[in-house]
Amino acid sequence: MPDELLRLDGVRKYFGVRGAPWREGKAVRAVDGVDFVVRKGETVGLVGESGSGKSTLARVATRLLDPTAGTVAIGGADVTKVRGRKLRPVRRKIQLVFQDPQASLNPRQSVGTILTTPFRAQGVRPTRAQLVDLLRQVGLSGEHLERYPHEFSGGQRQRIGIARALSVQPELLICDEPVSALDVSVQAQVLNLLADLRDELGLSYVLVAHDLAVVRQVASRVAVMYLGTIVEEGPAAEVYSAPAHPYTKALLSAVPVPEPGAERDRIVLSGDVPTPIDPPSGCPFRTRCYKAEDVCATKRPVLEPVEGSTEHRAACYFPETPTL
Amino acid sequence: MPDLAWFVVRRLAAAILVMLALSLAVYLIFYALPADPAHLACGKPCTPDRLEQARHFMQLDQSTLQQYLNFLKGVFAGRTFGEGTAAVHCNAPCFGYSFPLARPVTTLIIERLPVTASIALGAAVLWLLIGVSLGVVAALNRGRLLDRLAVGFALVGVASPSFLVGLLAILVFGFWLNMVPVNGYVPFTESPVDWAWHLITPWLVLALIQAAAYIRLTRAQMLEELSLDHITTARAKGAGESRVVLRHGLRGALVPIVTLFGLDLGGLLGGAILTEKVFSMQGLGELLLSAVGQLDVAVVVGTTLFSAFLIILANLLVDIVHGALDPRVSHG
Amino acid sequence: MADRPVLEVHDLHVTFRTENGLVPAVDGIDFAVAPGRTLAIVGESGSGKSVSSAAVMGLLPANADVKGEVLLDGRELVGLPADELRAIRGNDIALVFQDALSALNPYYTVGWQVAEAYRLHHSVSKKEARRRAVELLDLVGIPGAARRAGNYPHEFSGGMRQRVVIAMALVNNPKVLIADEPTTALDVTVQAQIMRLLADVQAEFGTALVLISHDLGVVAETADDVLVMYAGRAAERGTVRDLFHRAAHPYSLGLLGAVPRVDVPPRPRLATIPGTPPSPGSITTGCPFQPRCAYAERVGERCVTERPELTPRPGEGDHEAACHLGRRPADA
Repeated sequence: MPDELLRLDGVRKYFGVRGAPWREGKAVRAVDGVDFVVRKGETVGLVGESGSGKSTLARVATRLLDPTAGTVAIGGADVTKVRGRKLRPVRRKIQLVFQDPQASLNPRQSVGTILTTPFRAQGVRPTRAQLVDLLRQVGLSGEHLERYPHEFSGGQRQRIGIARALSVQPELLICDEPVSALDVSVQAQVLNLLADLRDELGLSYVLVAHDLAVVRQVASRVAVMYLGTIVEEGPAAEVYSAPAHPYTKALLSAVPVPEPGAERDRIVLSGDVPTPIDPPSGCPFRTRCYKAEDVCATKRPVLEPVEGSTEHRAACYFPETPTL
Repeated sequence: MPDLAWFVVRRLAAAILVMLALSLAVYLIFYALPADPAHLACGKPCTPDRLEQARHFMQLDQSTLQQYLNFLKGVFAGRTFGEGTAAVHCNAPCFGYSFPLARPVTTLIIERLPVTASIALGAAVLWLLIGVSLGVVAALNRGRLLDRLAVGFALVGVASPSFLVGLLAILVFGFWLNMVPVNGYVPFTESPVDWAWHLITPWLVLALIQAAAYIRLTRAQMLEELSLDHITTARAKGAGESRVVLRHGLRGALVPIVTLFGLDLGGLLGGAILTEKVFSMQGLGELLLSAVGQLDVAVVVGTTLFSAFLIILANLLVDIVHGALDPRVSHG
Repeated sequence: MADRPVLEVHDLHVTFRTENGLVPAVDGIDFAVAPGRTLAIVGESGSGKSVSSAAVMGLLPANADVKGEVLLDGRELVGLPADELRAIRGNDIALVFQDALSALNPYYTVGWQVAEAYRLHHSVSKKEARRRAVELLDLVGIPGAARRAGNYPHEFSGGMRQRVVIAMALVNNPKVLIADEPTTALDVTVQAQIMRLLADVQAEFGTALVLISHDLGVVAETADDVLVMYAGRAAERGTVRDLFHRAAHPYSLGLLGAVPRVDVPPRPRLATIPGTPPSPGSITTGCPFQPRCAYAERVGERCVTERPELTPRPGEGDHEAACHLGRRPADA
């Protein structure tokens, strides 16, 4: 399909755990069998709690990590085995924006140098006008080129991070928790900026975030991860208004809303997320699920269309049915 | 616990490999020297015949590799030089035989170790006490006079050569003030008081110099520890300052201090060369020093390997203690 | 409702003496909280909300000057001798930190740490303190508390660690609990567990809760009263409904508009507040919010020259805002 910017098939990423030789080699199953597609013009929210594997998945998608199994296709071409210099054209199409702008910008480099680096990696020497244009796109100006990261506020630094990602004119930005380190008022500015860039440049996004409200604000489609698997995905409006997977339902109900006295059916999950070294058999969520039955322990449920929808899918034996 | 056992096994195996490589290296270095140990042993006049005899007796006429293998065999099974009534036996574990001293190296090390150990252990206790307490005081008074004094003291200590401090101490306390004995060693078993009295000056000299590193390390570690959130927690719980500093602050600072201490002590047990020389004490360092002077290769190799063994052992112990001190460390 | 406040803060000022001169962090704050009630202090980074809580606990570093009144059950805490303050800290007022991992000491078991908090204020045996610690760990919902008391902080999940911190804060049954962003580091499902736990504790023991948070969702769900801080000053004060339904300060209104919501379809654009929060001490005259305020032009010079004080909103009870704009911004 020509409009598929990113396609992950059966991706697994295991991290090794060292142990004594008489012990069975155990692995952290950070990502444990994920199919994931991003099409042109989409903003896909990838949500999940810590340990769900969402950040690992983002790093596999940008080829910063090699998958243990499965394939990564970017712009229709399989790039799973592509390495080194040959990765450059791949990197042009897909860029990563990091969570902590403080840590991801080199403090010894001026903004101009920071923005020039991605051009250099592509063998291009940018003009000053190009760099100024980049800064204008993210709401900064040419006078900022000679300054250093510490002279900027957190929100401005995140703008610089976005400008750096935009420098190679990517089609897809993968943003890993882009606003979680920012104050509320600044967070809104950056979210609006991402929306503006989408409209102006026709960008697509994968937005990795733990804040479900942030994702609802900007995402057209959303995928919910739990213990290394996608348990539900579909159009954002459908998933948020009628979650089908019990985990999604519990997750959404747990988010506090800025409305005193709001009537909410909160499902408080007991316990913690199980360890990805030894995930439960069958459905990964069954140990905390309020609907779990014997069948849930047998085989892992696959993503299947939710009743009355084609795009909305959930991996559950007993999905919630829309009440409306 | 099986994790710890496996860790120790792994580390010991590695230690044996290091010892083997080291012994080979030491052998090769000393046999590359132009001097011939047999020359010293053959007496005067040294005719070519007698020289050849001596070589044969000392097994120096064999290839370097063969000599090294003989040495290894001696460690596990002992070895015998010469034949018949003139034969010299060196029982396992034989780390070589000193012909100039006419003693097995193992025996020499066992004889000399108590002297060095007495110097090292006593000094270690002193420098640990001085270093850690001054370091804590400096950290608590950061930027103030006490801090400057402690840091200044540390600077002087680091910059002072031990032989100079040692000679000065002998001059001042021994000759001018006539307070302490200036040399010699009395075994602990003979008279504990005389033992300590003879050792007090070397202890102080070594402690003064070594404490410097501990002041600096303790100060830096304490400053870091005291800035951590859990220190604020301790205060928020209502803990008093001394409790905050000692139970919560120093506890965390202890891990790197213990690491340094273990390695320093391990190194010093192999011989405090300059201190022993200055205070005329017959320890391992002095043994090594005079062996080098007399080209007594067997002793040089033996004591070097013994020192290396102590350092490797100290490393291992430090790592084990590290695990006991910091619950987050696993030996898996 | 008629309960007298257990904690009252009047005209609190905190100034830091730094190399760059005096930096005011909190500039005249008043608040009060009654038993069983929850006061939320809301603000962005640099607003002074965390400094205020540290000032109440007497936990600020030595370079901080605290002025004003902090009354606990009518007793003045500012200027109290260290040992008297220590007897109150962790006993009558306790603190729950944001990051439970760094708030706990990595070198001691959680049981020891909770027991320590108890023993600091009760002369009981170690065994008795241990029993009390297990009781509290059980109360905050740690499964197998007796066994888990022997574990170290790193052996717990984030949510369980925060429960440990809460157990430690509650062990002496304090009158006031100050929770500084208690759930910011946690996942939402765990946050829901912790907020429910705090509500249960409050209902059972009648603890007064001061909740410091930037999360308006958490505030709306838990708080009775709200204080909105901006640049070390109070911008608005009132009941939780006053703030969320009748916000009177342009900054409060801006914050509410900037928060994305999970429960309603997205707006085309989020409202934003231009610029960034000022660094402490950078604004000396006029309204600290004036440079970012959309209404400042309408009011004119006054916002630049005259600092607005908290003024009651007519007909809205205790609802107060510090703004020269007389009307509600929405109606202006």
